[in-house]
Amino acid sequence: MTKVLVPTVCPYCGAGCGFYVAAEREKAIGIEYMLDHPVSQGALCAKGNAALEILYHPDRLTSPLKRRGEGWARISWQEALDLVAKGLGQARKKHGPRSLAFLSSSKCSNEDNYLMQKLARLLGSPHIDNCARLCHAPSVVGLNKTLGAAGMTNPIPDIASSRCIFIIGSNLAENHPVISRWVHRAKDRGAMVIVADPRATPTSWMADVFLQLEPGTDVALLNGMAHVIINEGLINREYIAQKTKGFEALSRAVKDFTPQRTAEITGIAPEDIVRAARAYATSPASAILYSMGITQHSTGTDNVQSISNLALICGQMGRPGTGVMPLRGQNNVQGACDMGALAEFYPGYKKADDPNTIRYFREAWNAPDLPPGPGLTATEMIEAAGAGEIKAMYIMGEDPANSDPCSEHARRSLESLDFLVVQDIFMTATAQLADVVLPGAVWAEKEGSFTNTERRVQWSHKAIEPPGEARSDRGIICDVARSLGLQFDYPDAASVLAEINRTVPQYAGILRERLEGSSLVWPCPTVDHPGTPILHRSGFNLAEGRASLIPVPFSPAAEAASRNHPFILTTGRVAVHHNAGSMTRRSPSLISREPDLFVEMNREDAAALDVEDGDEVRVATARGETAAYARLTDRLKKGVVFMPFHFPGTNILTTDAIDPEARIPEFKVCACNVFRRD
Amino acid sequence: MAVYIDINRCIGCRSCEVACQRVHGGHGHINVHYVREYAAVPVLCHHCQEAGCTMVCFTGALHKEGECTAFDVEKCTGCGLCALACPFGVVWTDKIAHKCDLCQGREEGPACIATCPANALSDDFDLATRRARERAVRAAAVGGKR
Repeated sequence: MTKVLVPTVCPYCGAGCGFYVAAEREKAIGIEYMLDHPVSQGALCAKGNAALEILYHPDRLTSPLKRRGEGWARISWQEALDLVAKGLGQARKKHGPRSLAFLSSSKCSNEDNYLMQKLARLLGSPHIDNCARLCHAPSVVGLNKTLGAAGMTNPIPDIASSRCIFIIGSNLAENHPVISRWVHRAKDRGAMVIVADPRATPTSWMADVFLQLEPGTDVALLNGMAHVIINEGLINREYIAQKTKGFEALSRAVKDFTPQRTAEITGIAPEDIVRAARAYATSPASAILYSMGITQHSTGTDNVQSISNLALICGQMGRPGTGVMPLRGQNNVQGACDMGALAEFYPGYKKADDPNTIRYFREAWNAPDLPPGPGLTATEMIEAAGAGEIKAMYIMGEDPANSDPCSEHARRSLESLDFLVVQDIFMTATAQLADVVLPGAVWAEKEGSFTNTERRVQWSHKAIEPPGEARSDRGIICDVARSLGLQFDYPDAASVLAEINRTVPQYAGILRERLEGSSLVWPCPTVDHPGTPILHRSGFNLAEGRASLIPVPFSPAAEAASRNHPFILTTGRVAVHHNAGSMTRRSPSLISREPDLFVEMNREDAAALDVEDGDEVRVATARGETAAYARLTDRLKKGVVFMPFHFPGTNILTTDAIDPEARIPEFKVCACNVFRRD
Repeated sequence: MAVYIDINRCIGCRSCEVACQRVHGGHGHINVHYVREYAAVPVLCHHCQEAGCTMVCFTGALHKEGECTAFDVEKCTGCGLCALACPFGVVWTDKIAHKCDLCQGREEGPACIATCPANALSDDFDLATRRARERAVRAAAVGGKR
């Protein structure tokens, strides 16, 4: 047998790096780098290099399972599908279609997500969402409002042509490592790099100006920078007049944010705020890169809107090297949203509460009855399950029992469901709570298109068969749909993409054959359209073609330090792990490098508690407490502690305070206390 | 040839470690070390001109082949003298000696260079300093302004 190189897209973050899976005799035997890939150019981070380690992991689910007492029984696919049809069908019949909820997966392909939301809506439930809710929901809501499109405005390689890169709330050097090559390339060409983060990170090593702000004070910093820019006349008057509306109101709203006042709120020196503001406004091309440090707040949407305000008043938009760049965390979180696996949008960001949307899909899907939205969001579903309003759930490739804030509460809510079916590759904490578990396939075991953070749609090929009786996620969804009496005839992923081409205007020209050996950046409205790497070149997809400047008042985080909880806990990722860790914690070369949950704290704070580096400590919040190893550092200011969220302990602590608009939980700020173990 | 490091660029992501381990059957030859919270430094064989490890290797398992400090696994007794002799701690023994072989047999060259997300590693001795010179020239050309 000869070795074949199968082109795939990395299953981890949203950068969308490509690599070849080398397969021989139906087995994946290695990775080869893809030197001509437009984003990664052959590079891969530690996670990408370790990707094959999960393929043959002994924990892989290899047959459908049903709960039997405290344990599990292997069952046939037929029995599993019957049970799922019965579980979902009975709840639907007894309590109505709105008692069903569906969690789709930003780890799965566009085709999988499209089918999952279609299944939910054909069954009459508006309750479909995905974990984008926990990462970039404020970007979707905020940027749709201000710019008329949610997504990175410019492609990743374009960062190299920027002359000033403002990175706020993103530790891209650890979370999207290949993006740092483009930042460095810009630096080589003389770009200035500004990093704002409560924690010094490998990303801030790249910075010329490092703004170490207090957690949850981003709006104040961004308003403060806007104040300096307006006050010193550094705005782009022509751009504001021609392309935006709402400048007067914005100007009034930031009037009070003098560098002095901003400094008091954020803890940053006033001269650094001024320096950053001047650099951003006056460079010939400035880009803003942001991530969860902006979105995972009770003011997430406000944060996103203030970012877009800053870009708009300086006219740093619609040209190479400029733009607003939400860096997305999962390999297909952009695609899952594009496909309408969101409570408030049908495919292609068609508003779920718009009768035209319902009319359109009624015709497209030949379905007489479709539920108008918005449905319940990912976090609200769990809440509603606890309250008994949601009776049955179908969860694909997500682990809310681990990844949701205040996770003990999430766990109890899921337990109270009448029926829970979980489709995954491992027995996750969520799958442990299920009635039926269906074994899915990982990226290399199925084919489909994935949309990375820069809206680049790439086809990932199938290299090997799934283990045991595991099946492709598309196949499973189709089987479940058919067992519920729906017509779901999609023999392969290409046939689903063909339907996406017809129903999602942004993807109309992204035909399967055009993705062979190439990629396309949406919007791509026709079959000969080259794709649109840079958005907003000539205007905005909003009324009058103008972007909206929306004044944003500063409001503090939901929780502040108190006598009982004197520290502020902020959470994030480390380079060798990914999200809830169900993959990376099972990957020997990754878990061996970061085996345990740790809490980083300032050396002085630790000294006051008599805690030394490596000591086991307890971290407690109003929700619960968890054990972690102390890691003493100068990365954090006094009063702030940091924990990675890849281990089950962290989200026991986090607050379920949410952003009122985007419904994202405030993972980035909560009050906690740290105790010595003894 | 050796692998050269641009410390300004290293983001400490440990991608090189995992890649090296991957292509060497689980035995990695590059290690990333951290200078407190301020920098990360990948450490690996320098392929020294006068390599201490080759001088103490009495079987000739470790020997010079041109610029490369090469290793002949058949001759290794696993005595561990090389690990004692190496001033950088980049040769170690676990039954036999392990060290960077510059990914011999890998047509595309060392995996760590190819995989480095930040382009911190290269086989170009002059790259890091040339980058610095070019930055300086560019800054001078615009009068120190960005």
